[in-house]
Amino acid sequence: MTHFAQPVSEVNPPDWGRPRTSPKQTASDAPSIHRELTAEQVCILTFDRPESSANIFDRATLAELDRHLDFLSADAGLKGLVLVSAKKAIFIAGADLLSIFAETRPEALRELIELGQRVFNRIADLPCPTVAAIHGAALGGGCEIALACDWRVASTDGVTRIGLPETQLGLLPAWGGSTRLPRLIGLPKALKIILAGKTLAGRPALKCGMVDALVPCEYLLPAALKKIREGKPRRARRPFINNALVATVIAARLKSQLQKKTRGHYPAVTKALEVATKGISRSISDSLQLEVEGVEELGRTETTRNLLRLFLLQERAKKLKLRGGLENVASAILADVEPGFQPGGKNRVTEKVSGKMERFQTADDLSGRQDAALYGRPGGPPPLSRPALSASGVAPAAGSCAVIGAGVMGAGIAQWLSAKKLSVILRDVSPEQIARGLSNISKLYAEGTKRHTFTAVEARAGLDRIHPAAAEVPLRNVDFVIEAAVEEMMHKKEIFRRLDALAGDQTILATNTSALSVAEIAAATVHPERVVGIHFFNPVHRMQLVEVVRAPQTSPAAVQRAIQFVQQIGKLPLLVNDSPGFLVNRILIPYLIEAGLLFESGACARDLDEAMLDFGMPMGPLRLLDEVGLDVAHHICGTLAEKFHGRFPVPSLLDKMVKAKMLGRKSGRGFYVHARGKQSPKLNPETEAFRCGNSAAGLTREQLQVRMVLLMINEAARCLEEKVVASADDVDFGMVMGTGFAPFRGGPLRHADAVGTAQIVVAMRHWVDTGATWFEPCAMLQELAGRGGTFHSD
Amino acid sequence: MVIVDGVRTPFTKAGTDLAHCAPDELGRVAVNALLTRTGLDPGLVDEVIFGCVAQPAEAANVARVIALRAGIPESVPAVTVHRNCASGCEALTLAHQKMCAGQGDIFIVGGAESMSGVPLLFKPTTAEKFSRLSRAKTFGQRVRMLAAFRPADFQPRIGLLLGLTDPVCGLNMGETAEILAREYGLSRDMQDAFALESHQRAVAAQGRLAEEICPVYVNGHRPAAAIVQDNGPRASQSPEALAKLKPVFDRRTGTVTAGNASQLTDGAVALLVMSESKALALNLKPLGMLTGYATAGCDPAHMGLGPIFAIAKAEAQTGLTLADADLIEINEAFAAQLLAVQKCAASGIFAHQHLHRRQPLGEMPRAKLNVNGGAIALGHPVGATGARLILTSLKELRRRKNKRALISVCVGGGQGAAIWVEAL
Repeated sequence: MTHFAQPVSEVNPPDWGRPRTSPKQTASDAPSIHRELTAEQVCILTFDRPESSANIFDRATLAELDRHLDFLSADAGLKGLVLVSAKKAIFIAGADLLSIFAETRPEALRELIELGQRVFNRIADLPCPTVAAIHGAALGGGCEIALACDWRVASTDGVTRIGLPETQLGLLPAWGGSTRLPRLIGLPKALKIILAGKTLAGRPALKCGMVDALVPCEYLLPAALKKIREGKPRRARRPFINNALVATVIAARLKSQLQKKTRGHYPAVTKALEVATKGISRSISDSLQLEVEGVEELGRTETTRNLLRLFLLQERAKKLKLRGGLENVASAILADVEPGFQPGGKNRVTEKVSGKMERFQTADDLSGRQDAALYGRPGGPPPLSRPALSASGVAPAAGSCAVIGAGVMGAGIAQWLSAKKLSVILRDVSPEQIARGLSNISKLYAEGTKRHTFTAVEARAGLDRIHPAAAEVPLRNVDFVIEAAVEEMMHKKEIFRRLDALAGDQTILATNTSALSVAEIAAATVHPERVVGIHFFNPVHRMQLVEVVRAPQTSPAAVQRAIQFVQQIGKLPLLVNDSPGFLVNRILIPYLIEAGLLFESGACARDLDEAMLDFGMPMGPLRLLDEVGLDVAHHICGTLAEKFHGRFPVPSLLDKMVKAKMLGRKSGRGFYVHARGKQSPKLNPETEAFRCGNSAAGLTREQLQVRMVLLMINEAARCLEEKVVASADDVDFGMVMGTGFAPFRGGPLRHADAVGTAQIVVAMRHWVDTGATWFEPCAMLQELAGRGGTFHSD
Repeated sequence: MVIVDGVRTPFTKAGTDLAHCAPDELGRVAVNALLTRTGLDPGLVDEVIFGCVAQPAEAANVARVIALRAGIPESVPAVTVHRNCASGCEALTLAHQKMCAGQGDIFIVGGAESMSGVPLLFKPTTAEKFSRLSRAKTFGQRVRMLAAFRPADFQPRIGLLLGLTDPVCGLNMGETAEILAREYGLSRDMQDAFALESHQRAVAAQGRLAEEICPVYVNGHRPAAAIVQDNGPRASQSPEALAKLKPVFDRRTGTVTAGNASQLTDGAVALLVMSESKALALNLKPLGMLTGYATAGCDPAHMGLGPIFAIAKAEAQTGLTLADADLIEINEAFAAQLLAVQKCAASGIFAHQHLHRRQPLGEMPRAKLNVNGGAIALGHPVGATGARLILTSLKELRRRKNKRALISVCVGGGQGAAIWVEAL
């Protein structure tokens, strides 16, 4: 019952909690479901939510469906029912999450779940055969309504995905998903899907029995009608695997496995397991009752709210747009961020708070432009320079770009861009460097092919889009240049000086620096207003977050184009101001430094990493240092410590390890010994030699955890205080997406709110008293603690 | 028509560095590098024309595959041309003809060949047995069909040998070279001496040739490799080493050896050509200009003399004589063949008997002829060679600040092609 691809009209406000006074309220008056009766007395219900690219289930849609079912149950001559969607890429995307989230009445969730269950039960109880004809995403509630039908036929198209992602949002499938899926495909297979929150493409869905037929989308309706003619299906009852005994055994085994994996932080998974395994040996109605109780219990937890919130923040990032476009050149302050597209038709004119009339453009316009780019010019030479932004403040989609530097980051970025159908010039100084980069890129493609992310043909086409350049080449026709060369200011300045001359006037020059000042790099160019930071995280193909860094002189048009570019390539942009370390590294570094300090003064390496795994981080800090590379970390720590005038003591450990060539994974040795293959790395005993004290040896895991987390919170507060980003939501979103900061905690500031700012300050003072002066809480934290305030207002 | 720029992959001996690159991959690399180097918007190209002799079965109309893989928009058409060893020349001359006919202004032309990739084939009788097997319905039929196979059925036919044999006169290309050697009295020593000089010149030119080469990045190599240099020229080549080789095509009395014939090679060349007005409008500085060309036919058994007929025909059309050429690039299919061309060009009798003219074509002084070595050292990827000669001679004209170059190749099946270019 979740809803993933949110329609444009639903995503707008990040002002959680407030009931929606959406300007689109009129849309709910128009019908979302169209009914038609064929000559053979088969009813076809077409889901087509007005003014939206997606179908979702909200209260109104469910009520509408209920009314159609009133009519259908009254028709004794009905031969069958087919459910279809009129949308291009979505069958039904699930429940309206925003309304669930915004709902303040505690019983509202229960009411919505019960309404859905009742309506879906009516479909399941129809005497005639029923078919869900699925083209596009059938997620959560969309999958559950399909499960309530007798038959499911799906299109072979790539957009078709079927699954139950609820557990990823801290919920469980409660519109019959946890009840009907195990009965359809057997408990073990169903649990794999439900517990992992998986969505399946057409072929695997057919293989596991979730769908009964797979046909090209043009033949979807005929295939559905054929199933109607076959009548009600006779399904195997699977008495040998779907019984109480087997369920108990499975439940016991999976429970301990899950506990190990989630460390008890994700109650939804355990609850879903419990509901599905208990429900299998009960009647359908009892099992549905278990679903209701389970989801209600989960809905009350902070974990679920945090996960939902993060999901909505991701949706917001997908639609992020700089407010004001070109006019607003003078005041480039962060408060200008416009949280989303306005809903509805093209170039809708909307009244803004300021009273100024502004134009907005929908995603459809963008895709139109992309098509135009794909099919080339209609004749004649192209315009010598393209407009930076149209009057509406939206730039045409980028078609080609250049990546400077074929190192790990450069190669990762080039691979990602080429996979997103952009042609990429990959520039480095020698054929050998490029050869190394290309070999990394082809490895990424080979892995992707193995994982079925690409077909072999797509992978080759992606590789073909990379244009190696071992010598200087013209960059006149390139939309974006992303520099990912060595982190050295002199070197970068030299590169940008050359880029400025080589690139066309409309080319955006971006740096992927992780710690250097974008403004300083930009100063090397004649047109610093087009220089922006686009900071990817390593590994590029896995990390969704990209920091878009605005230097004081960066023009709003350049920022907007960078944001749009990041969205175009399927990443989530976070707008940050040019400040040392930007947001993510800035907060991460004090944490890593603290881990280093604690290790140096005697803390056990395993305790340090386990403490943070317990907290919910995906990886312990020392292991992370190994992955990042000790040399890289050392460089960033040095830069930041310098910028912050000794606010952090940099442990001599990093320097010693770099000198000893213990660089982490890349050199095979760091805090851990990294063997080739899949073996998990073992602690490296050589590091013991680098200790210089044992003051931290007596600290418990909890104390270690608290220390490291406190420093992250403090630094996060400082970022907000210094307006590195616009809001506490931005800080939390950046940390979760950029570092995997325990998602169920909602981010460092959300976690601080949960603990209580006063508590935080008390804890920090305690460590200051022991001599760790760098625990001094920042002004904002002190101020909030003083008045019992929180970072988040809701 | 002007030639704006050009680039080629390294030419590497078949079975070595680029053995695993199919012609479409080699062509893609060259076109891709050409686009990157020139910064040309690929959408401006009107057509892609590529020569390829042994088109891979899995990439029919290989020019189209090359174009799409190199990032040329789908809307731009592409055609593969085949005139054996002159395919690379043909790509350029066809572009010119299209331009004259008003069928486009900007072309990417060239040639691509993977001699490593020419497949082994089954005999037609074997193929028939396979097809009968695939049609067999019952188990019994299948067993019977399988039993019909004989060991001899699996002896492959070597595609490369078939391709290099003229089906009309029944002679292998090497055998036609042996004929020329006998008829024109070209001794083994003369041929070997020519071959040695070709290597020496090519080795000396390695730095200059690097200008026209783009690296090929061979994926899957460990450690990652960039192939940046031709591997045909042998610095260590010596008269003794050449003398040791056995004749290939006539084992007892022959003179043509692997050492004095062109090498089997993989490689691709791409040239950006366009009308003068387009080059001007796009503010490009071309390397040179196409000023004339001709193709002519001759006796297939004497195919090596093709250049003589083509050069004579081009002279009739353009008035340009051998004396007008500052550089002459004639493909070294075989040392014997090139020496025969040199001899016939200077011979009044030949001119009288075969060209129906009183004056001989003229001298081809060694100082002007193949100054950077030829196919004996650099190799002869058949579909690409013609385009390489054009590229190499234009770059050399520019370096020497000379004006005109004549490019000619002999063509299996009894043809010759000649092209005149002028530096700009």
